[in-house]
Amino acid sequence: MPAMNLLTVLIFLPLVGVLALAFVPAEQKSLLRGVALLTSLATFGVALLVATGYDAKLSGWQFEAQAAWAPGLGFGYHVGLDGIALLLELLTAFLSPIVFLSSWKAIDGRVKLFTISLLALETAMLGTFAALDLVLFYVFWEAMLIPMYVLIGVFGSDNRIYATVKFFVFTFAGSVLMLIAILFLYTKTPAGSRTFDYVELMKVTLSASEQRWLFAAFAIAFAIKVPMFPLHTWLPDAHTEAPTAGSVILAGVLLKMGTFGFVRYALPLFPSAALEAQPIIGWLGVVGIVYGALMCMAQKDMKRLIAYSSVSHLGFVMLGLAALSPEAVTGAVYQMLNHGVSTGLLFLSIGFLYERRHTRAIEEYGGLAAVTPGIAAVFLIATLASVGLPTTNGFVGEFLILSGTFLSRAAHGEAMTIVAATGVILGAVYMLWLYQKVFFGPVKVPANAHLKDLSVREWVVALPLVVAIGYMGVMPGAFLDVLKTPVAALTQRLGGNGVVTPPRLFGTPPGGALRNGLGTFPQGTIRPFAPAPPPPPRKLEAAP
Amino acid sequence: MNHLALVPALPAATAYLWLIPLFPLLGAAVNGLAGRWLPKALVAGLACLTILLSFLLAVTAFQQVAGGAALHQTWLEWIQVGRVHAELGLTVDRLSAVMLLVVTGVGFLIHLYSVGYMEDDPGFARYFAYLNLFAAAMLVLVLADNLVALFIGWEGVGLCSYLLIGFWFTDDAKAYAGRKAFVVNRIGDFGVLIGTFVLLKATGHVDFAGMQAASRMLTPAIATTAGLLLFMGACGKSAQLPLYVWLPDAMAGPTPVSALIHAATMVTAGVYLVARMGFLYDLAPVALAVVAIVGTLTALWAALIATAQHDIKKVLAYSTVSQLGFMFIGNGVGAYDAGLGHVVTHAFFKACLFLGAGSVIHGLGGEQDMRKMGGLGKEMPHTSRTFLIATIAITGIFPLSGFFSKDEILHRALTTTRFAGIGLGWLGPAVYAIGTLTALLTSYYMWRLYQRTFNGERRNEHHAHESPAVMTGPLWILATLSIVGALLVMPRVQWLERWLHPHADLEGEIPYVPFLVALAVAWAGYYLAQYFHGAGSEARASKVAAAWPRLTLALENKLYVDEAYDLVIVRPLRFVAHTLWEFGDALLIDGMMVNGTARLTGWIAGGLRKLQNGDAQAYATVIALGTAALLFAMLR
Repeated sequence: MPAMNLLTVLIFLPLVGVLALAFVPAEQKSLLRGVALLTSLATFGVALLVATGYDAKLSGWQFEAQAAWAPGLGFGYHVGLDGIALLLELLTAFLSPIVFLSSWKAIDGRVKLFTISLLALETAMLGTFAALDLVLFYVFWEAMLIPMYVLIGVFGSDNRIYATVKFFVFTFAGSVLMLIAILFLYTKTPAGSRTFDYVELMKVTLSASEQRWLFAAFAIAFAIKVPMFPLHTWLPDAHTEAPTAGSVILAGVLLKMGTFGFVRYALPLFPSAALEAQPIIGWLGVVGIVYGALMCMAQKDMKRLIAYSSVSHLGFVMLGLAALSPEAVTGAVYQMLNHGVSTGLLFLSIGFLYERRHTRAIEEYGGLAAVTPGIAAVFLIATLASVGLPTTNGFVGEFLILSGTFLSRAAHGEAMTIVAATGVILGAVYMLWLYQKVFFGPVKVPANAHLKDLSVREWVVALPLVVAIGYMGVMPGAFLDVLKTPVAALTQRLGGNGVVTPPRLFGTPPGGALRNGLGTFPQGTIRPFAPAPPPPPRKLEAAP
Repeated sequence: MNHLALVPALPAATAYLWLIPLFPLLGAAVNGLAGRWLPKALVAGLACLTILLSFLLAVTAFQQVAGGAALHQTWLEWIQVGRVHAELGLTVDRLSAVMLLVVTGVGFLIHLYSVGYMEDDPGFARYFAYLNLFAAAMLVLVLADNLVALFIGWEGVGLCSYLLIGFWFTDDAKAYAGRKAFVVNRIGDFGVLIGTFVLLKATGHVDFAGMQAASRMLTPAIATTAGLLLFMGACGKSAQLPLYVWLPDAMAGPTPVSALIHAATMVTAGVYLVARMGFLYDLAPVALAVVAIVGTLTALWAALIATAQHDIKKVLAYSTVSQLGFMFIGNGVGAYDAGLGHVVTHAFFKACLFLGAGSVIHGLGGEQDMRKMGGLGKEMPHTSRTFLIATIAITGIFPLSGFFSKDEILHRALTTTRFAGIGLGWLGPAVYAIGTLTALLTSYYMWRLYQRTFNGERRNEHHAHESPAVMTGPLWILATLSIVGALLVMPRVQWLERWLHPHADLEGEIPYVPFLVALAVAWAGYYLAQYFHGAGSEARASKVAAAWPRLTLALENKLYVDEAYDLVIVRPLRFVAHTLWEFGDALLIDGMMVNGTARLTGWIAGGLRKLQNGDAQAYATVIALGTAALLFAMLR
């Protein structure tokens, strides 16, 4: 293993922390927390180093590292980053210290188990995004399950066992399908040099029906993780029962595993099947947006409501990925980050309330804006990001997804956009309803009358996310630039939607190609930018 | 425009444009973050100073535009992906310069007034933070050079409106009113979003200049679709049928907010958007016809409701909806300049009316019911006189500003030729007729309001007092503007028209007949109000109400529109959500498919387990039976 590969350091630094924690006695809670927090902070520092060293202009993998593991079996240690993975690594490393700090008081029993689980989980998540070998990917992918199982099953609330089993069985069922598909894919590599290496697998040619089956297996595994309607019912239970830390990580990072899986594996490995499935995925995304929003309107439990709002927001991501125009895919990846930040902040804010009142029931609150203006302000900002108000990060993502879908050549792109955009209305309906029920009106429950506002520690937890919401909403340029190359690579692999030629649109006089009005705009054709054929050589005429 | 040379002209640079929204934004940030610990004088001073600075910069920009071409500055790159080029670009042209002056000028006066009005409120700093934030958002809306940047301001003012309507959030009804405003506006915003996408797809641009340059890409079908979608947003923001329902409820906010946001500035954003997109609507006569029809019907509808309201602010709120309808009539007949003229004059007199109402409410310790007012003219001389001036202006009595701006719109509707091409030649005269009827109603309900508030005898014992100078000062300025504003739109003078079209030939004929009709209608409304609500004639009004009890009740109950929406939209939506939740998610997916699979697995496993129970006799029996069956099968 190369000693100084920064990406490898990034992935395994939390594991070093685990090792250190193993030697700390379980009674020394503060030390445990301190070591865990420092480790995660250091990891974030390394992630920032990686980000500064990343060159957005280069295509291909950066910070690549390779080492033999089981060469005879065709798999090895191979990691590397493109812009998409880089941003998700940053998100993961950014959220982890926040999660440790937020649980400082909330988790007081079995602190050792808690900190070790979370750090191990961080390594698994960082590894999943960076892996370039499918066995390695699968190992990291499955490794995420165990700490998550512990987080919900041990540190969760009353109905945690049901939720844990449900979460585990759902995800595992998908994983098994994916494993079979990975093994099958392996058999399709050239006989002499069988491999699980992602770069090599991208070169494998598959028949249409093989692509269909493999795509289905991968897609179901990822769709469960997203989660896409109708495979989403594990999520509300898992979120509701998980401790705040679990919810933040689950919403912030784990749900992106599914959408990341689509971007990295399901779509580019099986392009023709992906194109066939495009309308199904797109419409399921749209259904998820509307259905998730409607579910939110029927909830009595704050965490369950936010969980369903995740179904709605991830529906936007899936729609953007299905649309396959560069704008929509960029927006989809951006929305993954946004959702991590804003929903993370929502769960943290609910955690603040829960730690004070020990209930998630919406009706137990009311009028808190007068009692705890700090929590109210933080929650308001998270709410605004969640409903996609311009100048928050949520708007940039939603706008790119919706406009990109409208502009795309995807079947029903315009219809999907219109139905999906109703989610923007419904989002305001349920989020502002929640906000009013919790923060406005008179203080109805006496126990709420003297709640303490945010402590310094809690401000430190919330502020980075508040800043991120504003920064990503106003200055998205740096992020969007990083995404340009990988998104272009993806969209070109899937039919070159990236090179729609606008000149034809500009050059067409009205009444020509545009005569049919809406729905039949000339879409531009995929034309390689080949130079125009040279004019036929003119005959040289003899001079008079 | 040298008569507006209030400040020395800065160097002809445009690098300062971003400061116009930035100053109030900074004010909002300071007051929002630290206002709780600052002395009130500092909070108020900062809030007023920032908007004043914006006003001075706006004047500078105005002068620069007068001297030449439009100004432009790119503030931020913002979103640049593929075909989406949404930068935060600011521009001042002749149209936005006018809006800029109105927003910062009237905005400053209302900030000033608020210092007195909100003096004793515990949320003093929060109030000014929101008000500053609103000003910043509204300025972004006006300055934006593209639809996406405009959308920042568009939703930003919606947010501030939400926060300010629900300013006294401990009252659930007020918090609900704020939420209603936001959600109804979001329905309109949906239209703006999709409309933007349509235009982007057709022209490849979201910026106004680019879209206009590529407008030959806009076929009538596309132009109509985009125009109608954008108008949907305008209906939300500018409170037109069927999305006007949030505005009357928005009166839950502090009264200066009603004046600034819900009368003078924010609600005119829709009118501004249509005027800004005039090049699009010029290509879409059908969309224009819809704008004109919706404007006309809204004007009439809201005026009808206004005649029967008892809450002083509710009358003014419905009056605003109605007047916004007039502005859309102007837009709808393609007379964007006439629509803008009414935006400006309405900003003056309606702000004056709302602030006057606020002064009355302030003076009566929070009373808003006109049935408990009357005779306030003696106790509140400044308020009543300025209110009288603004009432004369809005009712369209010669020669105040409302007379000219309203009649310019109606006259242009009467003479329009826009709709002849689409077979709706009758539309212009019809709009004129309904508009004139609405003008009669306007005059009636406004004089009714004036009569019942300031004249006659007091109907409760509360002691009234005149408001302090910081409140009456802005009233007098706005009253003056309501008079002088006539110069903007008066035939032959027409400052506004000359400003917008510096090279146009304006020596048209003065439309004496429509003027006379308008004047007659305005006075008729006045006498009608005198007849029913003048001193000692209340019995006549009661008699009429008794003659048509159902109509009276329906009008008092705002024609039951809220109830209808509740029945047709809100409840069904809630029902669908709950049904889907209980039967879709909980029962079908989770109960049957997920837990059902689990139960099935458990059931099969349970059955299979019985086979392996370690009972040797049972195993032997099964083996014996199996062997027998096998033998039987083979021997047959």
